Amino acid sequence: MSARTRNLCLLPGAGLALALALACGSAVKPADAGGLSPAASLGEQIFKDTSLSASGLQSCATCHVAEAAHGADNDLPAQLGGPAMNLQGTRQSPSIRYLAGNTAFHYDSEGTPTGGFFWDGRAESLAAQAGGPFLNPVEMAMPSKAAVVAKLAAAPYAASFRAVYGDAIFSDPEQAYRCMTLALQQYQREDAEFQPFSSKYDAFLRGSVRLSDAEARGLALFNDPRKGNCAACHPSSGDQPLFTDFTYDVLGVPRNPALSANADPEFFDLGLGARADIDRPDLYGAFKVPSLRNVALRRVLFHNGRFTSLKDAVTFYVQRDTNPEKYYPVAPDGTVMKFDDLPSKYHGNVNVTEVPYNRLPGQAPALTDAEVDDVVAFLKTLTDGYTR
Amino acid sequence: MKSLRLSLLTACLALSALRAQAPPEDLAKRVDALSRELERMKGELSARPASDTVLGGYGEIQFSHFSKDGSRDTADLRRFVLALTHRFDDRTELVTELEVEHAVSSSDDKGEVEIEQAYIQHRLSPTWSLRGGLFLVPAGLLNERHEPTAFYGVERNAVETAIIPSTWREGGLQVVGSFENGIVLQAGVSTGFDFSKWDAASTEGAESPLGAVHQELSGARSHDLAAFAAVNWRGVPGLLLGGSWFHAKGAQGQPDMPAMAATLWDVHARWTPGPFDLSAVYARGTVADTAAFNQTRVGNPTLVPSRFEGWFGQAAWHAWSSGSYALAPFVRYESVNTAAAFEALAPASLTPAPAPSERIWTAGFNFNLNPHVVLKADLRRFRNDTAQNRVNLGLGWAF
Repeated sequence: MSARTRNLCLLPGAGLALALALACGSAVKPADAGGLSPAASLGEQIFKDTSLSASGLQSCATCHVAEAAHGADNDLPAQLGGPAMNLQGTRQSPSIRYLAGNTAFHYDSEGTPTGGFFWDGRAESLAAQAGGPFLNPVEMAMPSKAAVVAKLAAAPYAASFRAVYGDAIFSDPEQAYRCMTLALQQYQREDAEFQPFSSKYDAFLRGSVRLSDAEARGLALFNDPRKGNCAACHPSSGDQPLFTDFTYDVLGVPRNPALSANADPEFFDLGLGARADIDRPDLYGAFKVPSLRNVALRRVLFHNGRFTSLKDAVTFYVQRDTNPEKYYPVAPDGTVMKFDDLPSKYHGNVNVTEVPYNRLPGQAPALTDAEVDDVVAFLKTLTDGYTR
Repeated sequence: MKSLRLSLLTACLALSALRAQAPPEDLAKRVDALSRELERMKGELSARPASDTVLGGYGEIQFSHFSKDGSRDTADLRRFVLALTHRFDDRTELVTELEVEHAVSSSDDKGEVEIEQAYIQHRLSPTWSLRGGLFLVPAGLLNERHEPTAFYGVERNAVETAIIPSTWREGGLQVVGSFENGIVLQAGVSTGFDFSKWDAASTEGAESPLGAVHQELSGARSHDLAAFAAVNWRGVPGLLLGGSWFHAKGAQGQPDMPAMAATLWDVHARWTPGPFDLSAVYARGTVADTAAFNQTRVGNPTLVPSRFEGWFGQAAWHAWSSGSYALAPFVRYESVNTAAAFEALAPASLTPAPAPSERIWTAGFNFNLNPHVVLKADLRRFRNDTAQNRVNLGLGWAF
């Protein structure tokens, strides 16, 4: 695909965003000194408003808890939702911090899928992402946009909403819904909580603190293309690195029996392959590379929440191929059924060429157990709110 | 140019008038004096180009056969350069060079189009001149004079490629003093380095540390300017002795960047006794504050060295000539180390080991069809990275 064609592919998304911004133009009024703009302030109230869900118990903040780096604060593989808060989704709630630098989904000059919001990048912007959970039957489960807007009109901040978007805003539910998502986007862009860059690693990059020996060794292993090679997808350098390149990878993460959907043996979450608009079987099973900032606060890891400790997750990377029996079912004949959360016809998509995956059973893992500990020590420096 | 022609005409008219009016004995002396003046002016005129605007250029085409791996063999138009100079008046001229590398430059090719020089030179006096704009840094033997007819071998030597990054140019202002005793002084301020460009994940910095961070006046960050000086002495026919020094901070005012002061200096000599052409260069670079910079990039393949250096000795022999043909075999020995030392990191186990020096033998010949066109062939042997061993054939021109 030529660069020109790629740019044209982005235009519809860009055009929609522009149209929304114009239609909800008052949403982007500048912030008051030291505070949020009126739109962002509205966004914060909407973000925390449980009344906008069918159950009346769930808000954006329920699954994206500020104290958990705007991710889930429990060890459920996927959060519960629905009208009675008893339905489980299929993917864990990711942190929504540090997403302001993300782009709409596109293929780069080498055909690599890049950008997009959600685990499969299907939303083109923070606003589009924000509009999703309200209508998701296993999340906030509202029946329609109009229903959400009706609740919005009855909210304590409805007058503020009208003041920002016009007195007649609630008479056009479609437009009101769009403005609501833009307010949520504005909140995430303006509130420093969503990009605090306040970790020990940030202080280290500024030269105001040194890493411990274990943390420094962990960073070296993280960067080393012959060892962890983590930085290949989670870049650690540059000005305020985000520890994601916003690309996608097929890791062959083991199936998680704790996930309700997996009770059905026919169920497979194909990641990019679950999207109706992607017809690239070579990408089936690919999920977005998440930022590793605040990863130590995660109670479950990977899209299906298969791992519940950081050490287990890092160990999986280096032992997936040297000790597959630790992660996948073993048939009676001793055969290890690798990549059991992906239909066999897509097993060829799994990344088995890059370090540390380029190993075979019997070979030494790319990292020893002590080295895994060092990497984990380093990853803990990425937690925001560091104080000496 | 107009004033010279006017002087010549005036002298001719004066000569005619003298012949008509003066006494015979005075006339003879004065005719002699005027004749000498006329000859001097004629010589001055003939030494000048026919036009105020002069087009020049050079180019290089190369074929390389890698003896260990034939799949790496390449044929390449390495560079094609058009040089345009224009003399505005007797004291002020413009010097430019426009270069295309690798024949094709596009988003899908590795070629580059670049301005290699674009400066104004103004003569303040017979001794002193000023240069302003984009100019070549006076360093080593090759950087300021890098046409293929000016050096031996198909490729430029490794010292003046990896340690002194040829062809190295910066934007700035310099003063040039050319003294009657053969000393040429150059000094000035210019743009310098941007160490935020250092990509620890790539091998670019290992190939040429300063080549990875120089800016080529392409949107160059210019918060921290460089200072440089060079001296060359040509007081004895056939002998050139010289040295250079360049110093610049590489932080360029960017937050969270240590100062990263880099210094490069060299000494060089060239002696051409009879048919022989002997030359040598030693160049050494250092970078300060690398530990603070590298500590945030530990584990990556290419950290910033605190020292890099290299030297070479070369002997050529103008063995044969016939008409415009000339043959000059040569041999060169080089020692190059782009990562000779690193500052200690914490813990010490993370400090990279210094790289071993690469030692290269090159032997071959230049065969000139005339002074402007040269055919070249050489054999290069690397002691460590033997995969680089190769035979090169080259065609070059300069005018």
